[in-house]
Amino acid sequence: MTGAPPPRSRGTIGLLEENCTVCMLCARECPDWCLSVEGHTELAPPVRAGGRPRVRNVLDRFAIDFSLCMYCGICIEVCPFDALFWAPELVPAEQAHDGLVEEREALRAWMRDVPPPPALDPLAEPPEEAAAAARLDAVAASREAR
Amino acid sequence: MEPVRPAALVLDRGRRWSLTVVNVGLACCAVEAMVASLSTTTPAGTVPYAGDDRSVDVLVISGTVTDKLAPLVRQLHAASPGSVKVLSFGACANSGGPYWDSYSVTKGVDQLLPVDAWVPGCPPRPEALLDALEALAPAAAGERVLDAPLVRPSAGAVGPQDLRGRPL
Amino acid sequence: MTLAGRLAEVLPAAAVGEAHGVVTADVPREQWVAAVAAVRDDELLDGTFFDHLVVVDQSPGGFDVMVRLWSVAGRRGVHLRTSCPRDDASVPSLATVFSGASWHERHAAEMFGVAFPGTPDDRPLLLPPGGIPHPLRKEHVLAARVEHSWPGAEDPAYHGEGGRPPRRRLRPPGAPA
Repeated sequence: MTGAPPPRSRGTIGLLEENCTVCMLCARECPDWCLSVEGHTELAPPVRAGGRPRVRNVLDRFAIDFSLCMYCGICIEVCPFDALFWAPELVPAEQAHDGLVEEREALRAWMRDVPPPPALDPLAEPPEEAAAAARLDAVAASREAR
Repeated sequence: MEPVRPAALVLDRGRRWSLTVVNVGLACCAVEAMVASLSTTTPAGTVPYAGDDRSVDVLVISGTVTDKLAPLVRQLHAASPGSVKVLSFGACANSGGPYWDSYSVTKGVDQLLPVDAWVPGCPPRPEALLDALEALAPAAAGERVLDAPLVRPSAGAVGPQDLRGRPL
Repeated sequence: MTLAGRLAEVLPAAAVGEAHGVVTADVPREQWVAAVAAVRDDELLDGTFFDHLVVVDQSPGGFDVMVRLWSVAGRRGVHLRTSCPRDDASVPSLATVFSGASWHERHAAEMFGVAFPGTPDDRPLLLPPGGIPHPLRKEHVLAARVEHSWPGAEDPAYHGEGGRPPRRRLRPPGAPA
């Protein structure tokens, strides 16, 4: 390697499978149709006894065809569960045409190169989730007090 | 196993890093290939390309191949020596890239030419081109030795020929 | 005297309004060449810079042809627009008024199949010979999108147990209804 790309550069895409719910948004929004995402549903036990069994998506295949990918980042932006990240690695050149399709193992390996997120802006407004959590805590505390 | 050719090995080492690369600059990727040619970490430099240089080792197709330009790309490849390697640089040359569904784009230069390496990116970094050329270098340099033109004294109507008997 | 007002004076038969933030005059097809010449020659409008001619295939009845004329001294421009039905797709050529219009008309002709009678040159401008005819018409289908199946049509609900109905079938972004 003749020089490492800058840490926030759009080198390649890493997949954090634990966050992926197979919602298919990335595959739908990709303008090049280069994401192949496949999954199936499984039943999980109900939360409470006597409840309905929960339906859970399981990821079978997640592949990105880097011969088509134009590094627009729409898949990363649209993922609601933060399962996709930019990583500053280079996708290696291949000497076989199908070699540019990278499966989930390679995408997981690139998660190692994802830099930590930048620090929050100290002057920014607090996120809504924090305010909502604080409200719930207050409600729970007032219930306890009664 | 190939018989060892002592003369060939010496020439390989000497020539390993002297690749003549022609940047077939069709679109944005051409700029990244130009930057790669300015590299100071890998020995590189540019010379004017006369268009009939028989020592071309690698053709770098950098950019979108439109249907209108496709015959010219084929012509350029046909005018290159038989040992030339083709490197497809960037998403457009690999598969049509962002224009994969266009009415006027050839979906990948491998529909026209035999491709030896595909470099992904839109555009790829210049380092990616240098890495890919590094990987191609032994193959390109090795074959070049076998194809190196050798002028034979002509004895009659036949003019000078290369090692394969092709006229120079 | 506003731009729109002057345009209405110069082109009494046109409907002057505003479209996309620009003063636009909708001109009947038979007065197309005269209207463009009038805007060019008017001292106040000074539409001496022919910016572009485009064809738009958005109304079901036919094609709209739009020209932008700009005044370099006054730094303002107007759009002139006319339309033609699909089965009689021809608009008189502006090459006698602006000779540079002939390239724009050649491009519009090869992309939409609109004829410009009176043009000095009817050769295609950009498309290769033997290429797909009139690719910018709305009914033209992009072959690559038909050949390749959209990966977004997949859904885990189609495979496996659960009994949950899959979400309604979607189309790829940008695909016409």
